[in-house]
Amino acid sequence: MMALERFIIEILLNFAGREEINAFFRSPQNTATLIGCMIAISGALLGTFLLLRGMSLTSDAISHTVLLGIVVAFLLMTTVFGLEGDTSSPLLILGASLAGVATVVLTEVLYKSGLVRQDAALGLAFPLLFAIAVILVSRFADNVHLDEDAVLVGEIGIAWANTNSHCFDNCEIITMTPDSPDAEVSRQCTNCRELGINPRDENAEFEETCGNCGEYTPAKAWQAGLIDEEPLLVFIPKSITVTGVMALLTIGFVVLFYKELKLTTFDSALAKALGFRPGVINYTLMVLVSLVAVGAFDAVGSILVIAFFIIPPAAAYLLTDRLSLMLIFSPIIGGLGAFFGYDLARGNFLGIFQISDGIALINRVFGLDLLEKWDSSISASMVLMIFVFFVLSWILSPKYGLISTVIRRANQRRHFDDQVVMAHIHNHQYTDVQSQELEVATLHKHFHWTPQKMRRVLARLRALNWIQMMNGIVQLTERGDEQVHTFRDTTLSANNIIE
Amino acid sequence: MKRRRFSDEDKRVWMTIGVILLLGIIFIPFSQIVWGVNYTYTVRVVAIGGSILGIISGVLGCFAVLRHESLMGDALSHAALPGVAIAFLLVGRELSVLLVGAGIASWLGVRFITSILNTTRIKQDTAMGIVLAGWFAAGIALLAYIQSIPDASQAGLDKFIFGQAAAIIESDVYLVSGVGLFAFIVVALFWKEFKLVTFDPEFATANGFRVGFLNTLLSTLIVIAIVLGLQLAGVILMVGMLIAPAISARQWTHKLDQMVILSAVFGAFSGGVGAVISAIERDIPTGPMIIVVAFSIVIISIGFAPGRGLIWTGLRQRADSRRFATQNALRDMYKYAMAHGGITTTVPDEFIKGIGNASVLMGLKQLEQDDHVNYRYGHWSLTKTGAKMAQADAHNLRLWDMYRMYADELGLPILREDRQLDIRDVLPSEAVTLLEQKLEEVSV
Repeated sequence: MMALERFIIEILLNFAGREEINAFFRSPQNTATLIGCMIAISGALLGTFLLLRGMSLTSDAISHTVLLGIVVAFLLMTTVFGLEGDTSSPLLILGASLAGVATVVLTEVLYKSGLVRQDAALGLAFPLLFAIAVILVSRFADNVHLDEDAVLVGEIGIAWANTNSHCFDNCEIITMTPDSPDAEVSRQCTNCRELGINPRDENAEFEETCGNCGEYTPAKAWQAGLIDEEPLLVFIPKSITVTGVMALLTIGFVVLFYKELKLTTFDSALAKALGFRPGVINYTLMVLVSLVAVGAFDAVGSILVIAFFIIPPAAAYLLTDRLSLMLIFSPIIGGLGAFFGYDLARGNFLGIFQISDGIALINRVFGLDLLEKWDSSISASMVLMIFVFFVLSWILSPKYGLISTVIRRANQRRHFDDQVVMAHIHNHQYTDVQSQELEVATLHKHFHWTPQKMRRVLARLRALNWIQMMNGIVQLTERGDEQVHTFRDTTLSANNIIE
Repeated sequence: MKRRRFSDEDKRVWMTIGVILLLGIIFIPFSQIVWGVNYTYTVRVVAIGGSILGIISGVLGCFAVLRHESLMGDALSHAALPGVAIAFLLVGRELSVLLVGAGIASWLGVRFITSILNTTRIKQDTAMGIVLAGWFAAGIALLAYIQSIPDASQAGLDKFIFGQAAAIIESDVYLVSGVGLFAFIVVALFWKEFKLVTFDPEFATANGFRVGFLNTLLSTLIVIAIVLGLQLAGVILMVGMLIAPAISARQWTHKLDQMVILSAVFGAFSGGVGAVISAIERDIPTGPMIIVVAFSIVIISIGFAPGRGLIWTGLRQRADSRRFATQNALRDMYKYAMAHGGITTTVPDEFIKGIGNASVLMGLKQLEQDDHVNYRYGHWSLTKTGAKMAQADAHNLRLWDMYRMYADELGLPILREDRQLDIRDVLPSEAVTLLEQKLEEVSV
């Protein structure tokens, strides 16, 4: 992990100075947006396949359980192995994602036992595991540096403060021992209170404690003033690395196994017949979902992360029918949501609306006295922005959008009306009952339409030059006749309506 | 024909209900003695509130589970959060107002899901995920905003996320009981209709029931149950409280009325016990504790429920496979003996083990135990009872053959052919006589 960071920094240093890089990452906005985008990319890519496989809510189950995995791994690391607990440690990430995969397996077992339906199996498994995790969190809150708030919303806003430092020049690792001149050594009597004696008594035993001994990384050493020359340091927020690695893994997986993923998603039986092992692909997908959920836990918590899995692919699904385009659209939608979400948390909706103005309006209308400064959760705002983009694509999508659907349905209705009237005329013209059936004034009665509607349809047909009026009787023109015949030959026969 | 009033299953269900009730009653002195719980006024209120909420969600959860809408409950409970926050901002912290807000928000969530389903090709699970995440994010954003308001009395609002029993006061219990009673009256009035739309909506439509209206009414009731339970279980885990008692109850019975009562009892037990434990141990949040209690019941039910539980299924399967192996071994021996000279012919051990599969050993052992076969000098032979049994079995098989060939000709009733069964058990005796005659004719 550290080596990878160092490698990336070395590349970055070719383009920008050290100060610029540090300043960039020290800005909460840049770091938060970057992390949000990484999560959005990995979530959206995996979510696309989950959606197409009808497994969207599996991400819900996994993200809930991952919490249990994290808490248990955390407790094990700190209490049993005596390691320093760190939610971005690779060991913990791996352990916790195993828990995620275990849920999937458990749910499947539960559901295959035939006693519980699939939805109920999911609904059973994750509240239980989540409940256990929450109990553990609140019981061992001292050992686990997690609180219930962090579980819910993550800490993307302060992710910039939790960094790994990399030193490139003047790197001096200082080891402070009790003998060093700068060491702060204090002596304490260990048996004075017990024996009730004075520290000056000759029986007194002393223990020397050093307040500032230990190993100093260059960054700490510079801070403590132990070295004179400033080391060349670059700070990288830990979450950026973790989420970045997740994004890279996901992209790599999708690019490398695109063909396999596509085949197993759309035709799992064929994939099996061709020897592609859909099961393996499926479980790899689950492992990646768990990994991403764990990696995102620090930043956005364990519940909001499902939005990154579900909503962007759903929005992309409304925009296109092609898998490849979906895989491009959904990360973009997620990324845009993360980008604008930071502004939303500060009260700025896409630069067109200030939430504080809205609150002021509400205050005026309802006579309330609400705080007009909007300062809210960043991760939740990112999710809200993604949701807004979903609604936008739902309304505006050229093919499946609400507007285009309304227009299409109106067109279909109009087209149907036209065809019905044309067929009616075609059936009755030049027959004995022509004068009753085709009289303009009473024509609407045959369709149970209002006269206004009849008039509109007739006007439209006349404008097309498909019908004409002769002595108050409607007739097909030559073009109209042709139209009826083509309709009969193409549409009706294509649908096997007439043999 | 006289109908028996109580079947075995009925008895079992009523006994389970009684046992759980008894456990609930025993729990009070048990906790007093073992944990030294002091049932103060607060703890009493909390326990009663927890049980009542458990009853309500248990009863209505049955319908959610049977209609395969378990996850809908999850989406709806998450979706209630922004309603709570907005109601708080607009009116203030008055429980009834907060609950109305929660209800409205959930309702909008349902509408949103339905309109996504009606206008796009997005499937139900994805639509639920969208609403769950979107609404929940809105709620979290609003809560963060509320927390940023200085000196607002927002303390306790975030308890709606994980639930807190200690916050329940006496007036809340009255409110919850009142609304719950109303919900029960509606369920009782529309019992028949609800049963119908739950199990066979097509039939209900065809018979002129207003299915749309009934569905809406039922989802409204489920929303009410969710909303009432929020302050106890919290938005995230409410789904567990809704469905866990119902799923446990489903394992014990096949009848809706029994399931509802059983589920109410389970719900009351887990709600009350969970609430008491968390009211005593300050650092255990209520929602999770209730869920853990409710799930212990689920695990017990799935494991041990008579007739359906995993242990019973396992036992039955073992018995079945033993019966099957026995029958097969007997048939093999009979066939060999008849082909090699008669019923008294012995069968070499190697032969019978060679043609049978792995289960043949089990079958032979069982037969020997029952004294149907003897083993001597590497040969198996049928005893008298064994020979009789094998002959009867062969006869039965031949009758089945006759049935297969001449059922149409003889005008016999149509059955699923199951050669494991004695044909005399499944066909009327006149039909069997006909088959016997046919068999004689054919063999002559």
